Amino acid sequence: MGTHIEAVWAQAGNGSRRATARGLADAAARNCFALAGRRPGDIDMLINVGMYREDSMGEPALAALIQQDIGASPARRLAGPAGRIGLFGREWRGQRDGGGGQAGHAGTFSFDLLNGACGAISAIQIESGLLKSGVIRLGAVVSSDVQPDVKDPGAAFLRPAGGALLLGWRDGPAGFTDFGTETFPEYQDLFTSGLVWRRRPGIHGIPAPRLGTGRNEMIVTVKPGYHARLADCAEEAARRFLRRVGLAVEDIDLLAPAPADPDFIDRLRARLHVPGDKVAYTPEDLAAAYTTGPIAALQAARKSGRLAEARTTLLLAAGPGATVALALYRQPDAEPK
Amino acid sequence: MTETRNEHRLTMESAASGNPWGCRIDSVGVKLPARRLTTRDLMSKTSHDTHIQLERLTGIHERRVVGPGENSFTLATGAARDCLAHSQHQASDIEMLVSASITRSRGHFAQSFEPSLSLFVKQAIGATQAANFDISNACAGMLTGVFILQDFIARGEISCGMVVSGEYISHLSWNAARQIRSVFSKQLASLTLGDAGAAVIVERAPRGTGIDVIGFTTLAEHSRLCLAYPSSLGPGAQMYTESRKLHRVAIEDMLPLVVEAIGEAGISLSDIDYLIPHQTSARAIRAATGEFVRRLGARPKHVVLNLEEYGNTSSTTLFVALHKYLEEQRIRKGDRVMLLALASGIEIGTAIFTVDNLVDGYGHAH
Repeated sequence: MGTHIEAVWAQAGNGSRRATARGLADAAARNCFALAGRRPGDIDMLINVGMYREDSMGEPALAALIQQDIGASPARRLAGPAGRIGLFGREWRGQRDGGGGQAGHAGTFSFDLLNGACGAISAIQIESGLLKSGVIRLGAVVSSDVQPDVKDPGAAFLRPAGGALLLGWRDGPAGFTDFGTETFPEYQDLFTSGLVWRRRPGIHGIPAPRLGTGRNEMIVTVKPGYHARLADCAEEAARRFLRRVGLAVEDIDLLAPAPADPDFIDRLRARLHVPGDKVAYTPEDLAAAYTTGPIAALQAARKSGRLAEARTTLLLAAGPGATVALALYRQPDAEPK
Repeated sequence: MTETRNEHRLTMESAASGNPWGCRIDSVGVKLPARRLTTRDLMSKTSHDTHIQLERLTGIHERRVVGPGENSFTLATGAARDCLAHSQHQASDIEMLVSASITRSRGHFAQSFEPSLSLFVKQAIGATQAANFDISNACAGMLTGVFILQDFIARGEISCGMVVSGEYISHLSWNAARQIRSVFSKQLASLTLGDAGAAVIVERAPRGTGIDVIGFTTLAEHSRLCLAYPSSLGPGAQMYTESRKLHRVAIEDMLPLVVEAIGEAGISLSDIDYLIPHQTSARAIRAATGEFVRRLGARPKHVVLNLEEYGNTSSTTLFVALHKYLEEQRIRKGDRVMLLALASGIEIGTAIFTVDNLVDGYGHAH
């Protein structure tokens, strides 16, 4: 039994300057549910892995807003007797499991996971575990980013995109079976981002008690050679991961990598000696997707039909840290062409 | 006569879930800044004459606030080191490290985005082999991290993990103090905040022992009751809360979820020795627990409040309170503890566990 991909969806922003991270995530999630023929109310968990938003909101988790937008586990009011709720312990369990009207139905638990370009794989790993434990029956991973409001055009390191993935648990040997993650902190300075307070020119001393004395400005620094170093780290991590699960690079039928930057993919492919026909290339409009990258790679693999044919697919993502995340999707019964 | 209640249910894992292992809390650590800020001092610095009796309203006498060189990262790292000092584990034992801070100030960044704060914390404490990632779930972040690690441990995938949070969040108070005019301001809750770091190590335990129940749900229909954004007034953020409505939700919608959790644990509320709720306001907590007692016909033996000294330390409150009661040797082996998280989202989460050797790291005599 394993974690099965019920549906995967990734879409690029439509070029509108008004595109919001929330809007992109909402749209991707809705399309993903439609593709799967499932209702948002069916999911027990929603993890948002998007990093860059138009407003850099600190709380609540964006996942909660997405949950509300798409209508996952909307509030439905139940009428009940007023006064004491006199049910405890086994009495409560008995009513719950024995026809209390909602047996088996859980609410939806939503939160954000922040692990840069590797977040989607981390979220898949968490939901796979909870599916295996039987804690959830259907989980969603959503992602989205919009270009942070940076003044330096050279710092435009991503293109707006949103993605969504629905995960379920099925009998049979297929599914996500192994996960790995590795960090290379010696490269932690190659990509940094964060908010820095900038006081508006002309404001001196104690600012007046009103808005607009400055702004918390997003500063993103990407140093030369970033993608090449990511590829080196990814190769090392992939080889160690495959050794751990008893596989060789040659055993991988399909590599679904992110980011899709040629400086990363071409170098990684060359170092691993993976032929081009074994790589799921993300389409051009999603090539600069950020946290949606791994989801876009999976979508490319699925749309091409090669995910269904591959016995062993390696989903690989690399990002700031440097961090490399890996997941193995196995289908022992697949029949490669 | 009837009343209405939501049918939200907890996404829940319990000792009866069928996984091969249990998961127990091994140790808790905190890092509190040395500097104290009294409510009187804070309110004397508001830009407007607010006439707000904040200490009387909330029960908060003072809170800790960072000094020079302190930020979210230093608080998180300090707490992680304190946690290890109370643990039987070395940093190298930690296989997964989750950072759950809302605030992520580090170096010159008022809010660091990438690389993740968890990467810097694990490097600082020497947990270099640990898998790491950050989560963001408002004031429920740390308990969310425990929920995640609990499943990894119960399935046997890892045997030891740490959740850490460093909250330098008092900048919200200063930003609010410059705008707030009356008790009806949506920024009132920002005045209750204090800075703190907290960390917790969870580890593998024999099946059927450790955390009895841990569960969460998101009442997303209330997702806009508390919102925080980067400020244009000063470094950090500003937070807007509909406190009264949030309080109503806390009572109405949390109650069935508490019933669900204690039901799953096979106990009554009166079997809880220490209920540790998210620390918002003493008055609100007393009102909510009073309503719980009225409706459930049972009361926990103790309801933990530490607001007077620390205020609301956001994602760290539950573990700062647990640590204090362990250090003061009030919580003893065999006591049953219920942690109750309430956060923007609205997130409601709970964990129920019986205290075991956890007390050993705090000098308890048996």
